[in-house]
Parts: sequence; structure tokens; C-alpha cells
Amino acid sequence: MSWISALGPLQWLLLLVIPPAVLSLYFLKLKRRELAVPSTLLWRKTLEDVHVNSIWQRLRKNLLLYLQLLFLAILILACLRPGWSGQNRIGDRRIYVIDNSASMQATDVEPTRLDLAKKKVRELLSDTSADDVGMVIAFSDRADVRQGFTKDRNRLFSAVDSIPTTSRGTDVSEALRAAAGLANPGRSSFDNLSDIMVADAVPATVYLLSDGAFGDLGDFDVGKLKIEYISIGESKTNNLGIVSFAVQRNEDKANKLEAFARITNPGDEKVEFTASLELDGKLLDASTGSVDAKQEAGLLFELTDTDEGRLKLTLDYDDALKVDNVAYAAIRPNKQISILLVTPGNNALETALQTPRVQQIASVQVESPTFLDDPAFQVAALDANIDLVIFDQCSPKQMPSTNTLFIGSVPPTASGSDAAPSESNSNVWKFGQPQGPALILDVNRSNPITQYLEMGSVSIVEARTIDPAESGMVLMTSDIGPVFAIAPRGPFQDAVLGFSIVQATSGGVGVNTDWGIKRSFPVFVYATVEYLGGGITESSSPSVQPGWPIGLVLSKRFKEFKVVAPDGQTTELVRGDESRHTFTKTEVPGIYQVFAKGIEKPVESFCVNLFSSRESDLAVADSIKMGFESVQASGTTIQARKETWRWILLFALALLVIEWIVFNRRVFI
Amino acid sequence: MAKLERMELVSRKIFRGRMKGERRSKRKGQSVEFADFRNYVSGDDLRFIDWNLFARMDRLYLKIFLEEEDLHFYTIIDDSMSMDFGEPSKFFVAKQIAASLAYIGLCRGDRVSVSSFETSSNPVVIRGKSSTHRLLGHLESLSCVTSATTMAESIKRFCVKNTGKGIVVLVSDLMNKSGYESALRMLVAREMDIFLIHLLSPEELSPEMQGDLKLVDCEDGDQREISISAGLLHRYQQTLAAFIEQAKSFCNKRSITYVPARSDQAADVLVNEYLRSKGLVR
Repeated sequence: MSWISALGPLQWLLLLVIPPAVLSLYFLKLKRRELAVPSTLLWRKTLEDVHVNSIWQRLRKNLLLYLQLLFLAILILACLRPGWSGQNRIGDRRIYVIDNSASMQATDVEPTRLDLAKKKVRELLSDTSADDVGMVIAFSDRADVRQGFTKDRNRLFSAVDSIPTTSRGTDVSEALRAAAGLANPGRSSFDNLSDIMVADAVPATVYLLSDGAFGDLGDFDVGKLKIEYISIGESKTNNLGIVSFAVQRNEDKANKLEAFARITNPGDEKVEFTASLELDGKLLDASTGSVDAKQEAGLLFELTDTDEGRLKLTLDYDDALKVDNVAYAAIRPNKQISILLVTPGNNALETALQTPRVQQIASVQVESPTFLDDPAFQVAALDANIDLVIFDQCSPKQMPSTNTLFIGSVPPTASGSDAAPSESNSNVWKFGQPQGPALILDVNRSNPITQYLEMGSVSIVEARTIDPAESGMVLMTSDIGPVFAIAPRGPFQDAVLGFSIVQATSGGVGVNTDWGIKRSFPVFVYATVEYLGGGITESSSPSVQPGWPIGLVLSKRFKEFKVVAPDGQTTELVRGDESRHTFTKTEVPGIYQVFAKGIEKPVESFCVNLFSSRESDLAVADSIKMGFESVQASGTTIQARKETWRWILLFALALLVIEWIVFNRRVFI
Repeated sequence: MAKLERMELVSRKIFRGRMKGERRSKRKGQSVEFADFRNYVSGDDLRFIDWNLFARMDRLYLKIFLEEEDLHFYTIIDDSMSMDFGEPSKFFVAKQIAASLAYIGLCRGDRVSVSSFETSSNPVVIRGKSSTHRLLGHLESLSCVTSATTMAESIKRFCVKNTGKGIVVLVSDLMNKSGYESALRMLVAREMDIFLIHLLSPEELSPEMQGDLKLVDCEDGDQREISISAGLLHRYQQTLAAFIEQAKSFCNKRSITYVPARSDQAADVLVNEYLRSKGLVR
């Protein structure tokens, strides 16, 4: 039993004055109601027994007075805040780290795990004394400091209440790092030990309220933090979750799509389920399946004559976590890359563009260099209907508004290496004089175009060195210098190959390199088409986990876009110079659609799905491991001060009621 | 009224009246009711000689007849302010009782005297059924007074004024701080047949009070401060019971018929049933 004074000295003084005041009220004569009676004869005789003029005798057997004094005594006792096991209070700094990841939406405890965690934090907060400081951190796959250190309990309460539910994954390390950093503000970032400003780390207690759906914390150094892990949730909770859902085109049958889903069952029992697949809100197919305990099962749906639409897979199984029972996928229309090849004639290149793989993703238009003067080219170039223009041994007067590949020629804005230094501009391509022979020495493996190329056996008769424009990247280096480079031009990219495959001369066509007959050449062409043409259009839209950013490739044709979230929220996007735009507002699972301004049909879509077997596993961790240490869960009970003042006040209230009854009914003197 | 007319006042004692009444008297006299024989002495009225007996016995015997007399019936009503309480008030009920009993007496030709403490020295004395209106008029004129005359003084005045013997019915609540004993003793000393109707109101028998009160005596303005509680009420009941018991035993010791009555009880019920059972009327 320990006591905490809830009042200051002056307040105590005031409180202690009240009992004598009540007592004195009993000495004072009450203002009595006058009542005429036939005779006071009998009353006089009656009162003679009781009425003794002594003041103390008057107070004798006055139950009302005793009740009132007892009431006051109980009030004073409550103000002393008696409590149990007060020695368990640790430190004055408390950090409440609350898990609000997807698994905390589970309803195995009433109403949800997150609400239970909030309730427990509120209980912990109520048990703190007025001088304690607290901090509230919510975490999912990132930490969110809801409230910094404060003594204001109301702010802590509202910070706890304001923690939202998320559908994100779990990563506690960031939250713990934030707690450690905020708990030990004196931590110096310098190794210099003479830094006298470094304050001692202040011990703090971290109350980690989570279901433990995160891995080991590795060698996380908690410093002077004491971690109390309070596990939330039932240890044995059945759940079924979709961990993967994707749509693919059938390689053999072009008009057929296959939707795959992977279902996980982290529970201890075999589960049978029904899965229904909806296309644009209409039931398309349904399937039943079963998953053994701690196993995964696959589901396959075949879709015919479906070119685009929004797919929603729902598991009809009543479990504690609903968010992982739904998965979304959007089918993208089969989009073809359009390529314009301007060449005086290049069999090797044309053959490489005729391969089935390239044909599957691209349509190629071949024109002679005279086409460059054609107004149709100007229209096509400005309209950006063409995704990639390949200039073979020729060069336009003006760069088209699209990605380009120059083979054996130079962009019109390029300058020669012999140009005057004063004209040198870092934003233009520079070229050396043709020289040869050249041998490729190094290939940039980090770029998708050149990552699979094997150029060791390729011989080149003549090549010129290339110095790419600003922010450019050399992709191939030969013994004479860089011969292949890529550089951005606004939202577009230009790649320049410093040697031609064939060289048209007055005597006919001469071969400049044997690369055209090597196996690596079609690989190079395919990779170029795939990368510069806009990438492969997968039949299924990309999917990210809730809260994760997604890179959107926005069409160059439009400037303004808006993203419509599944909950109807819209976000305006303005395309800058970069063709990729990073979109971060992906909290709500579902299908997001990107609309261009003035276009009704979405130009792009992507999905946000939980797809986390760790979140779907609702088993509650008994302990969390931190390096070699292990923190045991304290379960639903928390080492905390058991306050009794509420009960005492309740008793006092009951006493007040009894006193009222006694006063009114005069049941007993 | 018809019931009352059939009733008569009963006296356990036989008193001498002044006028011929409808009651047998101890005195012998002229009536149709034979009482005894006695020897003739000279000077006796020859009309009362029993000639048949003379023929048989050859001696003169005189027939003696019982004399029929009237009865003196007194009703004294307590008119102190304490009688003015209750709904209906005790005084009103007392007047009803007095009227009922007096009417019975009038119907039987008794000498009826009705008075209050205030008018005890100058009572209204009436006789005969025809005086009913006068009786009622007199009762109507009576009211509670705040005079300081005590019960004992009033009874003393009454005894001085009324020398005759008879039935006295005293209707009072006995709420007299100077005591009622001396007054009753005086009546007993007059050898009267005394009936005491102890009339109490429900407010006195079971007071329904709450809270902290200052009780004011309506007679002398005496004040008592009380805080009503179950215990206090319980003690009051004990005091009341003792008070009633004391009055009862005082009366029993002195052959006074003690009749307790409630003011919320109908007067005719009281007279018809209660007083009949007590033997005052039949």
C-alpha cells in the first residue's frame, strides 16, 4: 500500500477545515418549522427522556452526523490515492508504442486488437501520476509520433484516440529507434567523447502494445529504454489470407487471361473456403478450395474474352481479419508499342525487329530518310503517337517529342569535339571523329538495355566516341572510348550508338560490324524496344502494399492527371519533366485509377493489396527478440499501480445516498 | 334520532329527583308500581289501605307504591383551545356526543343540563323533548375559548352551582397541564355517577410529522423543539399509552367510567354502540 497526495498543502488545509465546519453546524440551532399542536403536554413528557441540554448529548446517536463525518473521512482517504504495488512504477518517462498495422484490425478480441490496445494505454495513462511524462508513437511499417513527451494527460489521451487503423505491414524497429532517440535526447551524433553537452540518457519505459507480427529486431540497442511488451490478441486465431493475386496473359492463347491467387492459412486447422471473383462488380467465377494448416494453396481462374476491367477476389470465410480476404487486380488492355524506324536499309535491324517477341509487344513502321522531310513525320513526331523513333544512319532536323535511338548518326543538337570551347555546352552531346577498329571492352550491366549483352566477340570497323549530354550514362566503352550512351531530354530519353551496323556507301552497303549476326543483337533490339518504347505492358496492373509508394509512368501526351482512390478520394497530379511520378497516397486497399484531364477512360491503374503472410498470421508472439535478449509478453495484465480511489469515491457516493435516505425517512436517530 | 329516542340514560345509582319523572325512585310514592306493605298508623291516607288484606287478616295494612322520579343529567364539554384540533375538531365531536346524550335524556323526561368549562357556573337546564331546539341552539353557541380557567376551577364552579346528584358526562381530551385529577375528585366527592369520555384526535394518537419542528402549544404558547425520528415517535407512543393508562386507572379506582374515543369516529356510532357497551345508555 502506498499513498500519493492528490492535493497541494493549501487544498489539504481547506479540506481539513470541512469536518469541524460540519460539526459546528450541528451545534448551531436549526431554523425549525413552527407547527401548532393541541398541547405540548405529551411532547414535553416524551422529550424529557431525550432532551438533555448538554451539547455532546445532543450529538449522541445522531446517525446523520456520523454519516457525514464518515463521508468526509472517505473523501480525504480518496484524496490520498491509496494504491497497491506502487513500487512497480518504473521511471517517470513512459513511451506508449502502439501497433496499428493491418493485423491489428483483427476482431479476435472485442472490438478490435487496436481498440483493445488503445484501451490498455488509456488504463496505463490513468495510472500515471501528475509528474510523469508520456509519449505516444503509432507504428505500422513506419513510425508515427502522435504525441511527443508531455505531462498533459488529455493530449496523450486524444493522441491515443486519434490513432487510425491502417492496412500496412509491421516494422517496429523504426518506432523503437524513434522512442530511443526521443527518450535519450542527449545522444550525440559525434564520436568525440569530449562533447560535454551530451546529457546522460534518461531511463524510460516503453510500453509496446502489439501482436508481435514483426521479426526479430536484430541487434537493436535500446539504450536505457526498458521495454514492456504487452501482447494484444488471442494466441489461437484462425485466419485465411490472400498473399498474392495476379493476372497473366496465356502465352498460347492470346485472348485468354489467367488469374492466380495464393491463399495462406497460418492457423492450426485445415480450412475450406469459397472464393468468388468479380469483374467490375459482377460475379465472374467462384471456386472452392482448402488449405492445410500452416500451408498455402493456389487458385487459378481462367478468363476468356476479357481485355480490361477490375478484378476483385473475395474469400467467403468468416475470420478475424477481413482486410486480407479481399484482393484486387486490374487487367490492362493489350497495348502495342509503336516504333518508327527511319533507315536507308538495314537488314540486320529490320530482322531483329521482326522477331516474334518484338512483334508481340510492338508494331514497327519502317521509313526511308526522305520521310524525315515529310510533313507526316512532323505530325507524328509532335503528336507523340510514336513511342520510339530509331534513326539509322540519318538524323532529323528537329528532335521528335519521343524517345529516340540513333545508330551511326548523331542528334541534330550535337556538337563535334573540335568545336570551340566557348560554344561548349554541358547539355549537348559531343562526338569524336570516326576511328577504328574498335573493340568493346565494358558493358554497363546496370542498365536494362545492356544488362544481358555479351559484346566481347563483336568487331567494329569504325566508330566514334560519344560524350553524352548532362545526366547521361555511358552504356558501352570500347578501346577508343565510350561508344554507346543514353541521356535524358526533358521527359524523353535519347540513346546514341557511336557506330553503324551497316554503312551505305556509294558502292553499296558495307558492313561496319559483325554484331548484326551475333546472338546478342536481337537481345539488344528487344531490350531497347522494351525500355525506350515504354516497357512491357503487363496484363495486370502493378500492385503495392498499403502505404508504399508506386512509380507511375504517365503518358507524355497529357499534362494533368488525377488519381481516384477506391474510397473516391481524388488526387491531382501534374506531370513534370520526369515521365515517372511517385504516388504515395496508397493507404486504402483497392484499385486506383489514373485519369488524364479530359479523358473519361483511365489511362493507367494500379492496385493496393495487403499481400502479407506475416500480417495474415494472427498468432500472437509470446516474446520479442532483441539481439540476444528476449522480452516476454505480459499478456493482458500489466504491471501497474492498482488505484483504489475510484472505489473509495464510489463508496462515499453510496454513503451519501444512504445519508439522504436517513435524512428523509428518519429511519433511525 | 329515532334510535336515540328509543334509548334511555342509565344510572347505576338511584338519585332523588325534584319532579315526578319516568324513573323509579328509592322514595315511595304514588305510582302504579307496587313496592311493599306496612302497618297502618294513624294519619295514613285511607286510600292506600289494602282492604282485601284487611278482610283476610283483620288487620290494616297500607300499600306502598314506588315513586317515579326524574333524572339529573349533566354534560360538561371541555372548551379549551386544545379541543379545537382535528378534522372534524374534537370540540365539534364533543358537542355531537353531548347533543345525542342530552336528546336521549330529554326524550325520557330527564332534567338535562349542558355546559362547557366556561359556562359551568351558568348551565342551560332543560327538560322535555320540546326543548330540543333550545338544547341545540345552546350547543351551537358554545365555542372554544382561550380563557385561563383551568379544568379544576370549572368543575369546582359546577359543583357549587349544581347541588343535585345525577349522571355527569365529562367530554375532554384531558390535555391540561395542571392535571385533571383534582377536577374528577371533586365530582366523585359529589357522589355523582361520572362518565369520562376521553376524546383524542388522530393527530394526537399517531402524529404524522417530519423534519425539524418547533411545536407551539396553542393554549399557553409553550414551545418545544423536536427533530422527528422513528425513535422519537416511538417514545411519543409510549408516553401517550402511559397517559391513557394513567387516566384509565385513575378513573377505575374512583368508579368513574372511562370511555376512550377518537374524534374521527362518527358521534352516532360512539353513542349507539360504544356508550351502550359501556352502559351509559341502553
